[in-house]
Amino acid sequence: MLHALRAELAYSLPWLLGGLGIAVGVGGLLTGIIWFVPGADGTPGFLPEMFMIIAGMVVSFVIQGRRREERRSRLLLAGPLTPRQLAGIMVLLPPCLVGLAVLAATFKFGVFALASGNADLTTLGLTAAFGGEFWGYAQLGPLAQEAVAARRQQRGAAAIIGWAVFVGAVLVLAASMFFRGQTPGYLGLLMVIVSAMAVAVWLYEGRTDFTR
Amino acid sequence: MSDRNPAARLSGLSKRWPGFQLGPLDLELEPGTVLALVGPNGAGKTTTLNCIAGLIVPEEGGTEVFGLKVHPTRVEYRREVGYVGEENGFFQGWTVRRNIDFMSKLMPGWSNDRARRLADRFGLPMDKPVNKMSRGNRTKLALVAALTHGPKLLLLDEPTAGLDPVVRAEVLDVLWETTEDGEHAVLYSTHVLSDINRLADELAFLRDGRVVLRTGRDELGENWRRVSFRLPREDIELVGIVEHRRVRSEHQVITRDAPATLQQLTELGAEAVEVSRMSVDEIAVQILKEGHHVARTES
Repeated sequence: MLHALRAELAYSLPWLLGGLGIAVGVGGLLTGIIWFVPGADGTPGFLPEMFMIIAGMVVSFVIQGRRREERRSRLLLAGPLTPRQLAGIMVLLPPCLVGLAVLAATFKFGVFALASGNADLTTLGLTAAFGGEFWGYAQLGPLAQEAVAARRQQRGAAAIIGWAVFVGAVLVLAASMFFRGQTPGYLGLLMVIVSAMAVAVWLYEGRTDFTR
Repeated sequence: MSDRNPAARLSGLSKRWPGFQLGPLDLELEPGTVLALVGPNGAGKTTTLNCIAGLIVPEEGGTEVFGLKVHPTRVEYRREVGYVGEENGFFQGWTVRRNIDFMSKLMPGWSNDRARRLADRFGLPMDKPVNKMSRGNRTKLALVAALTHGPKLLLLDEPTAGLDPVVRAEVLDVLWETTEDGEHAVLYSTHVLSDINRLADELAFLRDGRVVLRTGRDELGENWRRVSFRLPREDIELVGIVEHRRVRSEHQVITRDAPATLQQLTELGAEAVEVSRMSVDEIAVQILKEGHHVARTES
């Protein structure tokens, strides 16, 4: 399973690097514009880091679609992997990509802090907080995909449970934004991530069709 | 695993989609046999192969491969199965070499030697990304992936569809060589009926999710004939007739029971009787035509 997960990560890396490059470019451009706005305090703020984390989440959605399009499960099920292990790859890939984006954002923050001699720790805290939130959002992708698959495969109860957890997760994520950086916010995020992962794995294991 | 087990056994296999039901299918495939699944689009050929490969879970019945139960959660049977479908799950952005390298670490029983020999034989462009390759080359890569871990049952979903004649001949050569040892069994679906003569020992005709006829390739052509004759009567009921055309007293019929039909024509006093053999393609078309009644087994 780890071999397959590593391969999927390596396969996704060019997209992730492209996404991060675009995020840094757009973030940098906006930072430059803000710099020259009359009355602005001239601090670049959190924009580039946030864009990088968003890029990680977007890439995770793109990769999820691409794996389905390329029918990866057909290849992996020809080998010794079980559906549970395939589900594991499916739910671990998005957090890995978002995690790499968070690391890249932190690295970018570090480089900027060293270059400017000004380390604004608020930005670092925000990077962690937004990273957690987008990690939660990224986890909704596999859950939605499996809820759709359950509906297509006429597993009505499974589809309803999948969508119910999806809606619940969105509501909790929305609510957790009001508690950003506080314990209830982190607990909400943790709940979303764990429940979305668990239900996505459960739905995948119950599939009756692994052709895509 | 026992070698006395059939290569594949389908027992009451049934799968429902909205507007379509496959089966119930009962089918056995002995080692050393090449069975062609012939049928129109939507007959259930791909679904049957997917069920045997363990990619689709049937609602009822089950499948065994060399005595091992097939289910997505089971992995034991997979070593015995090589599958070539239309899409095979390769990393499209990676080169052939990198895909093969990935598979060599994934598949138990993988032989790098065999992979290299097959890739050389097919002339696969090792450093070309899969998404930049022609359909023929993608099929070749799928064959390399399906054959290299040494499976004894090959499932091929229209492996020669869309291939040019040269590539098709190469693919058929390799398949023929693979099955030569008498240990491998092949189940393949095809639209290209000319492949049947080259490869298949037996044929199973599928229509609307059911096997309407299973027969040996050689037996198939034995009793099917196109017969033309002159008989100045309109109200004739002939035995074994599947198609009947008449212009005044000239008749042309297709029969699946030539001896009986010819006997009847003699009794009726038909004149200018001419009998011609039919190709496998022509017979297949007749079998699969809507409303045609055939026995479930003919061999």
